[in-house]
Amino acid sequence: MLLSSVILVLREVLEAALLFSLLMALSRRLTISCRWVFLSLGIGLLGAAIYGFNIDIVSEQFEGVGQELINAFLQIAIYLALSVIAGLSLAHRQGRKAPPLLITVLMTLCVALAIVREGSEIMIYLSGFLAVENLRIPVLAGCAIGAAIGVSVGAVFYFLLLNLETGTARMAGAVLLLLVAAGMASQATLLLIQADWLPAQYPLWDSTWLVSEQSVTGQLLYALVGYEATPTALQVGAYVGSMLLLGAIAWCMSEIVRRRAQMPAHGGAG
Amino acid sequence: MTSIRRFLVVVLLATITLINFLATLHGYRTSMAEADKLFDTKLADVAAVLAAASIDETDAGRSPLMEHGNIVFQVWFGDELLLSSAGAPDHPIAPLRPGFADENFGGYRWRSFSRHEAAGNRWVQVAERADLRFALAEKVILESVLPIILGLPLVGLLIWLIVGRGLYPLRNLANEMSAKRSDDLSPVSEDRPPQELARLIHSINGLLRRLESAFDREKRFAADAAHELRTPISVLKVQVHNILRDSADDNVQLRNLEAAVERMERSVEQVLTLYRTAPEQFAASFVQLDLAGLARQVIADLYPQLDARQQTIELVGDTATMQGDTFALQTLLSNLLENASKYSGTGGSIKVSVERRPGVTALTVEDSGPGIPADQREKVLERFVRGDGRHNDSGVVGSGIGLAIVKHVVDIHHAEIALHDANFATGLAVTVLFPDLEKPDMKTVRRELGSA
Repeated sequence: MLLSSVILVLREVLEAALLFSLLMALSRRLTISCRWVFLSLGIGLLGAAIYGFNIDIVSEQFEGVGQELINAFLQIAIYLALSVIAGLSLAHRQGRKAPPLLITVLMTLCVALAIVREGSEIMIYLSGFLAVENLRIPVLAGCAIGAAIGVSVGAVFYFLLLNLETGTARMAGAVLLLLVAAGMASQATLLLIQADWLPAQYPLWDSTWLVSEQSVTGQLLYALVGYEATPTALQVGAYVGSMLLLGAIAWCMSEIVRRRAQMPAHGGAG
Repeated sequence: MTSIRRFLVVVLLATITLINFLATLHGYRTSMAEADKLFDTKLADVAAVLAAASIDETDAGRSPLMEHGNIVFQVWFGDELLLSSAGAPDHPIAPLRPGFADENFGGYRWRSFSRHEAAGNRWVQVAERADLRFALAEKVILESVLPIILGLPLVGLLIWLIVGRGLYPLRNLANEMSAKRSDDLSPVSEDRPPQELARLIHSINGLLRRLESAFDREKRFAADAAHELRTPISVLKVQVHNILRDSADDNVQLRNLEAAVERMERSVEQVLTLYRTAPEQFAASFVQLDLAGLARQVIADLYPQLDARQQTIELVGDTATMQGDTFALQTLLSNLLENASKYSGTGGSIKVSVERRPGVTALTVEDSGPGIPADQREKVLERFVRGDGRHNDSGVVGSGIGLAIVKHVVDIHHAEIALHDANFATGLAVTVLFPDLEKPDMKTVRRELGSA
């Protein structure tokens, strides 16, 4: 029980912790105050509790696939928010003043939604097992170990990003943002397949022999780049497509910020 | 703001947690595998004991024995069940093949061991519930895992305290630096500093020594310059005065020369007094004063000069107490008024307003001169703030220095300066906003020291 608790909790916590670290490091790089972190934690935990406690009602919706659909929606929302954040930070790096309030709101939203999604999964898991007396200690111990490993990886990751040279950090941050966002899109696709909103397909390949999804490495890769050992064509398509879409959204956002930044200058001259 | 302590605590704790817990997980898995082997050996031992017991055909049909712990067993003679325990199925526990197997019956998963006795052609089968032995093994192993998990908060607390203790010398140094008086440039104590700080303390002491000698040089220069400049100016003044007295007719050029020499004398006095003292020492010498009263006094001093140019002057404002340096503010007022008088021309008007606003004392000097077009004010202000003159082509001696002095006084009082339209038909208004200052604190002094 301990090991399976570790794997489940690690998977959820790691995903949220890495997103959290990435956005916090980005926030520091853009010299935006990190106070949003507390707000997002509060909203996220509250949301996770509400979602977790009402999971029975949620699951009954949409002919029994309410949970999958809501989770897919959460993933897509995080993906979209990440795309806009990428665009705004791109504009910021090109020397144009991106609105810090908008970035802060989006970052808060991203982390809060991720915590709602991952936190509710953990809550559902815990509430199922904690009722069984002799499973309580191994499950709790497993959860503690999984959560501690996840948070620790997130913390190390955050300081690693902060201590990189500016150029390297920018590149690493952009690539990670792209991968995490694509992972979100790919997971959303998987959830929609599970909900029968997208057609089920045979997996394109099976790389379990290389990295098992159940291993710690597999969990780390899942959280970081959305690794799946047996992805379907739709998932791979969503993964690649979402990367291209993110690039497009980011470019559009940076263009909008650039044009807005230029407008007052023209007004002043005229 | 990054914190060394937070960084060290978080990274150390994260690293320890990662290594500890990954090692724990590894230990858990290998321990579980070992426990599995141990249970298997126990199962084989039970089978061996049963095989050694004298069970033969005569035992066939005996009622099942009482259940023994989590273990069930069967003894088969060919396909005839000789003996079984309670809880065992009525068919063979596992296929009749020697060795271990995993089977399902009775609603559970079982780990079984089969042993064949060639001598009596008997099969002994023993099985144990997989979930129970897993739970038992996990319970034993958890006993060693739990302290590691429960100890983690303690590790975090200890790291926090130890790192805090480790950074103690750094905090001490910071305290020593901030407790220094503004004019205390004595070296920081180098009493057995830690290796890492020794270089920093050495550099700080070097910097303090250089700063001290630079201040000394500056003070000496100011004193020398005062001495060197005062004497020739006095001589010049006396000579001009004598020439004027001796010349029969009223020589306008000589009168202008006399006025210019007087102006120069005043400017030199102002520069020497204001610049001989370091800015942070001014902050320490601030007193409670009434800016309106001070303005009245300066206007009275300048009145003959204004009257000679037929200029009218008006002072608006009641008592306005603020913290400041009397001489510096007198200098600021007289410079602003002289400037206003200069640009207002003959018959012009000047208005001085002193006003207490929440948190600030506002001083405004307005003239009825030509003023400065709005679009050029920013440029003028830039030059003004840089310490350039408003109009360097004015031909009046000392105007550039006068504005530089105004800027210096504004800086000393952490005030702000702004230019806008005067309330006259034309003209410029200069407003200086003095923020309310508490008694000069260390922060201000340090900032001053930093800028010095």
